[in-house]
Amino acid sequence: MVRFNKVLAIGLALSLGLAVGASAANVKVAFIVSNQANESQAFSAKEFVKYGPDYGFDVSTFDAKGDTQAESQIVTTCIAQGFKAIFVNPNDIRAIVPALKKAKEAKVIVGMFSSELIGADQQYRDFAASSDDVLGGQLAAQQMIKAFPNGAKIVEIGGQAGHNAQLSRHDGFNGDKGIKGSKITVLDFKACQQWATDQAQAIMEDNIVKYGKDIQGVFVHWDNGATGVIQAAKAAGLKNLFIVGVDGNKAGYVQVKSGDQAVSIAQDFTAMAKKELQLAKDALAGKKANPAFNVIPQIIYDKASVSKYPLPQW
Amino acid sequence: MNKVGFILKDYLVLLMILGLALVTAIIQPKFISPANLNNIMRQFGPLILVALGMTFVIVGGFIDLSVAGTINLVAVVTITLIDPLGQVGALIAGLVIGSICGAINAGLILTSGATTQAEALFITFGMSTVYSSLALIYSGGSTFHFWDLKEMPNMFEAIGAGSVGPLSVSFVIFLGALALLWIFHTKMAAGRAISLTGGNKTAARLSGVPIERSIVLIYTIAGFMAALGAIVLFSRVTTASPVIGAGFETNAILAVVVGGTTLKGGKGSVLRTVMGVLLVILLNNCLNLLGVSSYMQWAARGAILVFAIWLDNRKEVQGNQL
Repeated sequence: MVRFNKVLAIGLALSLGLAVGASAANVKVAFIVSNQANESQAFSAKEFVKYGPDYGFDVSTFDAKGDTQAESQIVTTCIAQGFKAIFVNPNDIRAIVPALKKAKEAKVIVGMFSSELIGADQQYRDFAASSDDVLGGQLAAQQMIKAFPNGAKIVEIGGQAGHNAQLSRHDGFNGDKGIKGSKITVLDFKACQQWATDQAQAIMEDNIVKYGKDIQGVFVHWDNGATGVIQAAKAAGLKNLFIVGVDGNKAGYVQVKSGDQAVSIAQDFTAMAKKELQLAKDALAGKKANPAFNVIPQIIYDKASVSKYPLPQW
Repeated sequence: MNKVGFILKDYLVLLMILGLALVTAIIQPKFISPANLNNIMRQFGPLILVALGMTFVIVGGFIDLSVAGTINLVAVVTITLIDPLGQVGALIAGLVIGSICGAINAGLILTSGATTQAEALFITFGMSTVYSSLALIYSGGSTFHFWDLKEMPNMFEAIGAGSVGPLSVSFVIFLGALALLWIFHTKMAAGRAISLTGGNKTAARLSGVPIERSIVLIYTIAGFMAALGAIVLFSRVTTASPVIGAGFETNAILAVVVGGTTLKGGKGSVLRTVMGVLLVILLNNCLNLLGVSSYMQWAARGAILVFAIWLDNRKEVQGNQL
């Protein structure tokens, strides 16, 4: 028993030593996820943890579970725990501001992840890195125009109604740099209650009943939604639909490669996480981010290009 | 309240379904096309199975918010068990997991001494979070696809998209489940005991009704039916994500209450729930065909739920006055 206790004590001492050694070498930073149930954010959290040490950081992740108030509390907890930098993917870009203000007062470096604050609120963050969802919608529109230079009838299926990404992609797709002024006609637009594949599928099934073979293309706001659209089209025997999705996740990649989906506008969350880590490292060294808002380019997966890229990990 | 008034209220859901169908068919004749009827049948699948289970919970005087978490957990676990256990093995495992989730809920309610709907609401809400978290931990937040599997799962593909004559496979599953649950509820002592438990727990206990057994049955049935709904759901969309069940708990409760099962417990039937689900599905389908925006569709669903609860209370008040 005495021998066991000695071994245990030595083991504990070694573990503690290793832990202290690790934390002494690396700076404590936190990635605050708006909702880890979201596949892209769960992946982003993994990337922060994976690449953090390359930039001299120990990254802790916190999940706000879609709760705006909980997210603000996590920010204040991070301040209290002495994190040197926080990366925030906010549930609500306005509601998070008072908490971010406290973080700035405590000299904590604040980075906005996959999001950006508006107007004067930007003084409460040091930098932001994000895909541009408006641009994502515009890129989808350009792919649609390129495929149908003489015009086409399409339907649009939105993501979660009212969600910032859904609104931005819809605006980008239908705006001046989107299909506005082109010969593309949107027969129908519906947004889903959630980012749920079965809801996208049900809307597409109803669209097929209503418009049948008049539908030549579909812009669906996320690739997992495109999976539902593809199932609906297959069940109805609709072939050669030009389906454009956004995300570039595993589903989008495989669907584009198989030819079921024409295009996926891919978001690069690995690049986004790395950019944030680099900006935080620079900021801690006293270097101001310039530009403060960094757009992470989106990649277009289509039949010709998709094989050049590795299978996404999310 | 005259007899005509009572009959109208009792069959109001049916009248609403007929009215909605008639108006839509006039404005959009494609509503009555075989393709659309087939769509309605397929969209019926997952929700009706979850709602049938929920009927017993509400008739028993309780509520179950854990079904969304159960669906999340069963979906991701079942799809990943197809390769190691085979399709039948994975199916059975999924149903067992759902039943265990339900039994755990019942155990917590019994051991905590909860007797009210509000207490059950908080316990099952907590358990929904637990089951959803387990689904997230198990899946690592990833979505699983049929094409991730070594071979395409033919049985699950058939559940999601296959037909038996003019009926979809999911509809045949629903008919089978409905028949079994209706017989259980109306012809068997254990089924009738659930209604007595929901009507008045104290009176039921004094009359020798085994309330504890009823509670275990109620939640185990709800868990089993949520699992069956999860299997039909991921078979339909060919993917399973750890958030696939989001919103199913509220839609199931909406369908049960709109169908005419009282939230006060004791009264209700699985046949009424079929009417409720049909109205919810038709409402989505008709409003989509009529080109009504997503926001207006939510407003319509909310209004129907409020109206159903208002009507339920009015019936109670007027029934007491007679």
